[in-house]
Amino acid sequence: MPKYAMVIDQRRCIGCMACIVACKAENNVPPDQFRTRVLEKTEGQFPNLRTELRSELCNHCDNPPCVYNCPTRASYKRRIDGLVLLDKKRCVGCKACVAACPYDARYIDHNKGFADKCTFCDHRIKEGKEPACVATCIGKSRIFGDLNDPKSPVRLALKGHHAELPLKSAGTEPRVYYIRRFGTE
Amino acid sequence: MELTITGANAMTNPVLHIWDWRVSLYLFLGGLSAGLAVMSSLMHLQKKEDRVPAGETVFMVAPWLVPVILGIGMFFIFLDLDRKLNVFWFYLTIQPLSPMSWGSWGLLLFTPICLLFAYGTMPEQRREWLYRLPFMDDLAKWIKPRIQLIALANAAMGVFIGIYTGVLLSAFVARPLWNTAILPVLFLCSAMSAGAALMIVLAKDQCVKLFYTKVDIGLIIAEMIIIPLFFYGQYVSSESQRLSIMPFFSLSHEYLWYTASLLFIGVVFPLALVMKLAEIKECHEGLSSSDILKMNLSAGLVLLGSLVIRLTFVYAGQLSKLV
Repeated sequence: MPKYAMVIDQRRCIGCMACIVACKAENNVPPDQFRTRVLEKTEGQFPNLRTELRSELCNHCDNPPCVYNCPTRASYKRRIDGLVLLDKKRCVGCKACVAACPYDARYIDHNKGFADKCTFCDHRIKEGKEPACVATCIGKSRIFGDLNDPKSPVRLALKGHHAELPLKSAGTEPRVYYIRRFGTE
Repeated sequence: MELTITGANAMTNPVLHIWDWRVSLYLFLGGLSAGLAVMSSLMHLQKKEDRVPAGETVFMVAPWLVPVILGIGMFFIFLDLDRKLNVFWFYLTIQPLSPMSWGSWGLLLFTPICLLFAYGTMPEQRREWLYRLPFMDDLAKWIKPRIQLIALANAAMGVFIGIYTGVLLSAFVARPLWNTAILPVLFLCSAMSAGAALMIVLAKDQCVKLFYTKVDIGLIIAEMIIIPLFFYGQYVSSESQRLSIMPFFSLSHEYLWYTASLLFIGVVFPLALVMKLAEIKECHEGLSSSDILKMNLSAGLVLLGSLVIRLTFVYAGQLSKLV
């Protein structure tokens, strides 16, 4: 069974925001809401400052608090590939999953009333394609693949680099890894 | 369209728009009804024959207020749902790890129990008109020998709902301000205190007012211990938890509401406590009209403090995040 994951190589991100546009176009995301975002993060004290770009999206955690807190089982973790998905017809829009996500990866689509988030473009994966953000990333900053396949791009990227997990202490076991431009302070 | 998102706003921080005053009111009214259920059941749990003072209407009114207040609270949470027509899914699913799931099942169980209790505590002459429906007569006969058991179930469900309003928030690992086991205890204590305060306001009998005043004094003291312990616990915990309480202690205009709320809570409970301690008398000594006014006023302060706790914690919790 595949175990899909993403690696964000922050060194290669040029901040073109094409991933956001591609995601919005592919998934019909409302204009003021985002399934993925690129943050500019500045660290340090003046004049010793440094900025890095950080792409954020749903981490498809192996220990997902959004799934545990969903009262109607609308949020679920799919057994075959471990993707955290949403059964929209069961969603009551209670926002428990939005509050539960430590990564602020979810939002309520106010036009339709249900919670929404990145699906790793599940519909594209079924067709053998990469997620839209990965396919459009010109710097190859976003890398997608199957962790169980030793030849997959994610396995190769993780093999050659030290990667970090976001908010590791939360114990959510995310499936999005970060290769940082700068080391951890 | 602006695509470069750098600051803290509703786009980068959807946490700023998760739950609002509707959820705060639901938690307050849910807690109040839970507290009222426990407090109105207390008298029925005594072993003596004449459990309820003759002529005191609060023991008939309060049990009926429980489902009414609960219903209003549930209406507010219903207003907060973005897909209201899907609400039936709550009752087609059991999610043991979701507090909202077991809360919704708990409320489903609590409602008939509190209605049974309210019906059972109605004086015979007041419910005669209901006997036109034959099963109501049978129901009254069924309840009568079991009223203590139903009172016990009502109180137990009250405690459950009181705790649930806190667990609902404390289950979120993502929100460090809420993610502490002391929050359900605080909310339970606050719910019981609000229930006792409402009993004081509604009661006419002086002995009943004094009884609930004494109960409330204990609960206010407990709250005044738990609140500082909560902040102490957060401060000496992880960085995320320490940062989560900073809005309460920041004097910047951005967080003025939180600082003001904490100051308000810090004043209102001791004030209510002092007023209540001054009221303590033996019930045969009698209460003057100014004593009763002070009693009602201090009870009002407790209710207001309870509401402010829910409003402040719901909003401040959403500002907190793991770092």
